[in-house]
Amino acid sequence: MGELVRETYRYRELIWALALKELRVRYKRSVLGFVWALLNPLLMMLVLTVVFGTLMRFTIPHYSIFLLSMLLPWTFFSQGLAYSVESIVGNGELLKKVRVATLVFPVAAVISNIINFLLSLIPLMLLIVVLRFPLYWTWVYLPIPMLGLFFFTLGVAFFFATINVYYRDVSHIIQIILSAWFYFSPVIYSLDFIPAKYHWLFRMNPMLYVLNGFRLSIYYGLLPSKPSMAMSLACGFLALMIGFMIFRRYEKSFVYYV
Amino acid sequence: MSEDCCIEFEDVVQRFRRIKERPDTLREVFAKIRHYRSNYQVFEALKHVSFRVSQGQMVGIIGRNGSGKSTVLKLAAGVYRPTSGRVLVKGTIAPLIELGAGFHHELTGRENILLNGLLLGLTKKQVKQREERIVEFAELGDFIDSPVKQYSSGMYMRLAFSVAIEVDPDILIIDEILSVGDLGFREKCFDRILAFKAAGKTIFLVTHDARTVQQYCDRALLLHTGVLVADGAPDEVIQRYEQILGTRAPAPQVATVVKG
Repeated sequence: MGELVRETYRYRELIWALALKELRVRYKRSVLGFVWALLNPLLMMLVLTVVFGTLMRFTIPHYSIFLLSMLLPWTFFSQGLAYSVESIVGNGELLKKVRVATLVFPVAAVISNIINFLLSLIPLMLLIVVLRFPLYWTWVYLPIPMLGLFFFTLGVAFFFATINVYYRDVSHIIQIILSAWFYFSPVIYSLDFIPAKYHWLFRMNPMLYVLNGFRLSIYYGLLPSKPSMAMSLACGFLALMIGFMIFRRYEKSFVYYV
Repeated sequence: MSEDCCIEFEDVVQRFRRIKERPDTLREVFAKIRHYRSNYQVFEALKHVSFRVSQGQMVGIIGRNGSGKSTVLKLAAGVYRPTSGRVLVKGTIAPLIELGAGFHHELTGRENILLNGLLLGLTKKQVKQREERIVEFAELGDFIDSPVKQYSSGMYMRLAFSVAIEVDPDILIIDEILSVGDLGFREKCFDRILAFKAAGKTIFLVTHDARTVQQYCDRALLLHTGVLVADGAPDEVIQRYEQILGTRAPAPQVATVVKG
């Protein structure tokens, strides 16, 4: 883990340049450019608000905020994963020519997506104001679940990016895994909807703890309890440790397989 | 390693798994497990290669396609790790192997300079300091702020060469790249390379072109099917190279014999 911190720091300029490159390429050649990073989530939110505010009414008040409080961090997780899984194989030609620390690619992919995520919080605030939903002071606690989510995503990204070097099947199956994981995580619903006898099963999902703080702070205006925050960070650290260990173990032979 | 030596290969063997039927998908893996076959063949790209290069030497590596030239360069550049033996490199090294590998087509020349410079190990500050020189050397004019996908292949190579040479490493690795670009620019590149040599730096040059080696190199290495078959003065090594070429392509020789 010390190595991860050291190398990330050492290559910080390269990682940052790669992350910006990814964003730049994503929005280049479109008229609105970077505005899309804000506009895209805003439009998605409008659609959700219309659908769940007028067409399908749930018993949960302000369902769109309830949903978005977890959907936005989930989107970061799934997009960050989708990008980073391909990041090593995608830079294979480069790895074969220049000696470069491989870890910069998955790290940059996750960072470029967290920038997108942070930007998407701006339209969320806007929506909250427009809907006259309270903008709770507990938002200031968001950096803690964000840190947990960032570590967790990075760990899972290291893991899948490594396997993808050897078995390209991963890039196909990851979408299925993500969509199953999505419904297994209480993003569109609340754990209260699930019969109590199944709770033990849902509690085995680390994403539950990682995402929990977001809904508490944004939707309920509650301060996540200390054990809950600790659990989120612990899941993040553990995932990062395991993911990075596996990545390190195989990293040296990537160049022969990409 | 002695004082003035900057690259040393010690009994280096490089094996690859040649993909014969390497399973790429899970389905193939299961098929392999069921049939219990080994799924790759070992291919030896370099067989017990040893040599040492002193600082300030310009070494040409010649050999037919697939003789192991690029493998030597990639080992020196630290991209590969030898299967057995040792590769010692003293000093910073910049590979000019297939230029522009790190370029992104949607980014402008200037953006690519930064990205490529960082990939080659410079800091952002260093890149910014050298940016003007790079732009000037590449002779790109206004194009520097256009996406590189709009560049001609010559412009692309010029920019890539300019970035790599400005990294200013102790050891420069050049792999078959100077065939691109017009005559004027090629001369300019060689001037830069020779200035580099004059500054006491080490150069590795891989090429098929015997004349280039004769003209510029102090020493030549000849690789044939992964074996270092000759190491010495360019003229002698090139003679051996021509012999090897001759044995594989007998047609002209037969003609001479008939004539004689």
